[in-house]
Amino acid sequence: MKWTANDVDMYEKERQYIDTAVIPLIPLTLSEGAKAAVSGGEFVQLLTSEIERQLKGRLFLLPPFAYFTAEEQSARTERLNDWTSQLKESGLHHVFYVTGDRAWKEYEPDLLGELFLLPVVPFEHMDEAYKRQIVHDQTSKLLNAFISRWT
Amino acid sequence: MSEKKHRVSRRQFLNYTLTGVGGFMAAGILMPMARFALDPILKGEAGAELVPVAQVKDITTEPQRFDFKVKVKDAWYESEEPKSAWVYKDDKGEIVALSPICKHLGCTVNWNADKAHPNQFFCPCHYGRYTKDGTNVPGTPPMHPLDRYEYKVKDGKLYLGKAKPRGEA
Repeated sequence: MKWTANDVDMYEKERQYIDTAVIPLIPLTLSEGAKAAVSGGEFVQLLTSEIERQLKGRLFLLPPFAYFTAEEQSARTERLNDWTSQLKESGLHHVFYVTGDRAWKEYEPDLLGELFLLPVVPFEHMDEAYKRQIVHDQTSKLLNAFISRWT
Repeated sequence: MSEKKHRVSRRQFLNYTLTGVGGFMAAGILMPMARFALDPILKGEAGAELVPVAQVKDITTEPQRFDFKVKVKDAWYESEEPKSAWVYKDDKGEIVALSPICKHLGCTVNWNADKAHPNQFFCPCHYGRYTKDGTNVPGTPPMHPLDRYEYKVKDGKLYLGKAKPRGEA
């Protein structure tokens, strides 16, 4: 489900079946490295929306968790953990973060949810067929990773 | 004599020209209004068109997944929605095209994905199962069989239309 009024109606009806939140972690910056941050974020959003399409009956795709890259990592972690505990209290037992930002890797043990790090793919100059192939491969990888966490 | 009979008086001439011009003006205003009012009826049913999906010779008795795109129009915004179908030939050699959307909460089902229950469609979200013809297995969450696509075969190609609940397609 997506963060839309229609889907929230469904969530309220079928609450017992929905136990997973997916949060894309999107870095923001306007100085150097802006482009890399943007394309990484774009890929994450593309993939998470594709995952949402295939597993919409069990997971809730939340609006992205955005942060400026200048923000202290500890502050970010705290903020994200705050989101996570709120979600867990509301009955979403699995909280999955999806990001292309390697900075999170180091702090993985401090996080309350599970981190899924995606490889950053320079999409810009790629032809359509190849692009689709990559999205397809990455989606099925992530899909299987999610499913294996459920059982 | 006849000339005299057909003579048009000034009053008549003005009458004719004024009704003529007035009629044109009224028609100019009314025609678009009528067209607007009738427009929804004249337009064909949206999404009724069939899309080429696969070559018929590629279809086997084992369900295969084919992906395709359908144009969707949401007011002024046109976009392409990705869709897929599980297609196979049944015992009688007839083509069956099933929608992969689980009737429980809308996840995408997979063929033969669950080791414990081979030759069934399996939904990874809440472990719903369907037999090969799309019938929901009792005791699993889904309450209805999978939808079937309307289909047509033309020049060796399979065209799919709308997915309809079984019994209608």
